[in-house]
Amino acid sequence: MDTEYVVKKVAQTLATIFFVLTFNFFLFRILPGNPFALLFRGPGFSREAVNLLNAQFGLDQPVWVQYIRYLENTAKGNLGLSYTTRAPVANMLFPRLMNSLVLLLTANVISIVIGIVLGIVSAWRRGGRTDLTLSASTLLLYSMPTFWLGLVLLFAGVVYFGLPVAGMTTLGANLTNWFDYVGDLLRHMVLPGLTLVLGLVGQYVLVMKGALLDVFTEDYMITARAKGISTQKLLWNHAMRNATLPIITLIAINLGLTVGGAIQTETVFSWPGIGLLTYQALLQRDYPMLQGCFLVIAIAVILANFVADLTYGYLDPRVRTG
Amino acid sequence: MQQKRHDSSDCFPSLLYEILQNTSREKILSKKLNAMISLAILLVSSNFVVFQVHAAAPTDTFAVGWNGPPMDTINPMLVTVYDGGAYMVNHAMYDKLVQADSNGDPAPDLADSWEWKDAQTVVFHLVHNATWHDGVPFTAADAEFTINLIIANKDFFPLMRTYVTSVDSAKALDDYTLQINLKNPDAKFLQASLIMTYIVPKHIWEKVGNYTSYANENPIGTGPFKFVRWEPNSFVEFDANPDYFRGPPHVKHLTMRYFSSVNAMILALQSGEIHATGPILPPTVVPLMTSNPGIQVISRPDLRYYYFNFNAFANGTGNPTLRDERVRRALAYAIDKKTLAQTVWQGFADVLNSIMPTALGKWHNPNTPDIPFDLDKAAQMLDEAGYKVGADGIRISPDGVKMIYKIQVPSSYQEELRAAQMVAEWWSKINVKGIPELVEVGALGDIVVNWKHDTFIWVWSATSTDPDDFLLVFTTEQICVPGCMSDSGFSDPEYDQLYQQQLQATDAVQRQQIVWKMQDIVAEHVPYVPLYNNYAIQGFRSDLFTGLPQGIVPPVSQFAGNNLFVNVRPVVPVTTETTQMTTQITTQTTTTQAEVIPTATIAAVIVIVIVLALVGVLLMRRRKPAS
Repeated sequence: MDTEYVVKKVAQTLATIFFVLTFNFFLFRILPGNPFALLFRGPGFSREAVNLLNAQFGLDQPVWVQYIRYLENTAKGNLGLSYTTRAPVANMLFPRLMNSLVLLLTANVISIVIGIVLGIVSAWRRGGRTDLTLSASTLLLYSMPTFWLGLVLLFAGVVYFGLPVAGMTTLGANLTNWFDYVGDLLRHMVLPGLTLVLGLVGQYVLVMKGALLDVFTEDYMITARAKGISTQKLLWNHAMRNATLPIITLIAINLGLTVGGAIQTETVFSWPGIGLLTYQALLQRDYPMLQGCFLVIAIAVILANFVADLTYGYLDPRVRTG
Repeated sequence: MQQKRHDSSDCFPSLLYEILQNTSREKILSKKLNAMISLAILLVSSNFVVFQVHAAAPTDTFAVGWNGPPMDTINPMLVTVYDGGAYMVNHAMYDKLVQADSNGDPAPDLADSWEWKDAQTVVFHLVHNATWHDGVPFTAADAEFTINLIIANKDFFPLMRTYVTSVDSAKALDDYTLQINLKNPDAKFLQASLIMTYIVPKHIWEKVGNYTSYANENPIGTGPFKFVRWEPNSFVEFDANPDYFRGPPHVKHLTMRYFSSVNAMILALQSGEIHATGPILPPTVVPLMTSNPGIQVISRPDLRYYYFNFNAFANGTGNPTLRDERVRRALAYAIDKKTLAQTVWQGFADVLNSIMPTALGKWHNPNTPDIPFDLDKAAQMLDEAGYKVGADGIRISPDGVKMIYKIQVPSSYQEELRAAQMVAEWWSKINVKGIPELVEVGALGDIVVNWKHDTFIWVWSATSTDPDDFLLVFTTEQICVPGCMSDSGFSDPEYDQLYQQQLQATDAVQRQQIVWKMQDIVAEHVPYVPLYNNYAIQGFRSDLFTGLPQGIVPPVSQFAGNNLFVNVRPVVPVTTETTQMTTQITTQTTTTQAEVIPTATIAAVIVIVIVLALVGVLLMRRRKPAS
């Protein structure tokens, strides 16, 4: 692949990351309401204590000094101390990130596979009853509010199938056997995973179908058909190759966004992921934690897009030379 | 290839109709869609139908669900709020010197007995048989160390700090005798402060270098349960402590899980996955629980009350008409507290006539004159005071200030926004304009502290049945700029005097009379309109466990005292116990009589889905095109 293209993409990515870092920093400084001020409303905090806390978190320095320190610390991987637990933000953030990834990557992979297949079916039988049914049902699912869908599935799953209500693991069970542990994890993943898949699959079906239909109208498809190429080769070697590009963009965007965690799904199922962590930090006004979460999510999206750009460049020659 | 030109984006409902009507063999998918829609409708409507709780298998693991602030630390010194999950988990592992009995009076915990040498000195006689979880015996040196530790680090222990504000020092007189010296007489030191102060082991904590962020990874306490493992903000697991000095608990394991959705928590309670809920439930979920015979709902007045505040501070920047007592009184006549309590709390609240919650029992003065709801009287009072209706329909003060007030509600109490809107509606009937506004809690805190507000609705709460916390707010010394605790600017010399008197009163009857009089004084000047004392509601699986607290035990919205964890026991004793069985007996199998999906099936389902997808793709490739 063209070196210049790669270098350009890398430079763009780094510039975006730097911008995000800066924006992240200032965003939390302009929010109203000093989190420590609220502690005044109880008989707890004295003025001296608040001043000490301000000093400890460096909030009494001028803004640009805080900014430099922030950049230094982030480069070292020090995302600060949480206001509520006084423990390093990174300690809580990365395990929760892993929890989110386990759930969301699984759900995404399943949605992608099902979505692509259904999209192909829908495009191939366009106008037929299969297409109408698929389009209608996926649109229906896609437009359902995730929270509601999650609650409905939670209710049905617990009442009729005896699935667990919340969390990632069963409490009180010391599962040392690897197989048992994975089984327990899968049991807990069924309902939130299903909620996510039902919500995500619609996107992939519609995009796949749209991309394929666009390709079907191209001239080279008619040429290939005229040359006598079989349907199977037609679909795979000619249509799918070109229709995959929009899908890859969508996959990259979705995978980047998965790091943000599906806040609604995680809230309904109490899945200990980064989405729920962000929400909790928001409620408790734990600014360092929020800042850390935003940073991780933003960087994940940027990196995912970077990978998408490179993949695009690899797959589509027009992009890297144009 | 021929393609039927059909744009599926038009007439979506008719499409659905067509699909649903079609019964031909090819429409298996649409039949499924039909079924899915019916199921969805059925499920939504059955959301309010309670399913019968089937008898669950007895278990010796007491599982608690938590829907409040999550458990974010297992270091009792770093806990920030007393009604959060962190405080509760430390409750299972650590003890205090005294605890509260069902009347809110101090009862023995690590201290067997005590006596007051004088108004500022109290000596405790400690139990001899308490041990730390690592086997080291508990002595007075540990208590002495803990109290002095909190005093030395008070700027970094946000909650524990508040319980030693009146302590000068602590000294161990011998291995089992502890003396605490107070800086000033504090009649309520035991029941308000000492019942909340966790005692930590000296032999471990004295080696800690930096107390401001000590993680306390393997907590060692004297409590009825030992720490096993935890995930921050998710769950904590405990094992019973067989050497607990009051006898081992009656359950083998204790778990606490955080639920981010109250609906999920109630569902878990109904299915038996948890056996108790905390901290408190909203009144809307009560019908889901009461119709289940296996669930007991306990509700009792919480140690808090909601109030409507007026900014009467002379140096404030709110609407100056509120500094006129007649105005405040008239506006109070235009607030219907009973209707508010019914709307916001569905009756799960006591309407208040004074600034003392009814939960405080004898300290609440039932004779304090209440201001009834009377719109005519309110309008008449304003007319008489010279606040006539202006040309735009809003009353104007003699100085030309319009009676327009912001009614602010903090984002942490969103349900009160409805109350604010109703107040605005009543006020509009007497030609006063109220503007209800939901404000982010940190921002509202800033506004109030700087005296910029007009009116707001908020809450005062306490951790004990002692009235002091609720009286402190109205003392003159609590008025500061920027604010201390006073948020109305109320100041009365007689009140301040009485406050000091009640603080030092030794005779309970005398103190009660003083406290009652203080409430009358406040009611006279109407800095607040006290609204209601809401109930703390909790649900328990009384068919599986017994020994649960029934009355008010401070801090009431929690599983108060060690009593819950020590007294709770399974209704049906669990006899069979093997290490392998533990995994089976736990919550997974204690659900409805519907089948439980085994692991293998789920794995198989996932594999089948993927296989089907691949098969579908293969089939697609072989299909002959239509010509």
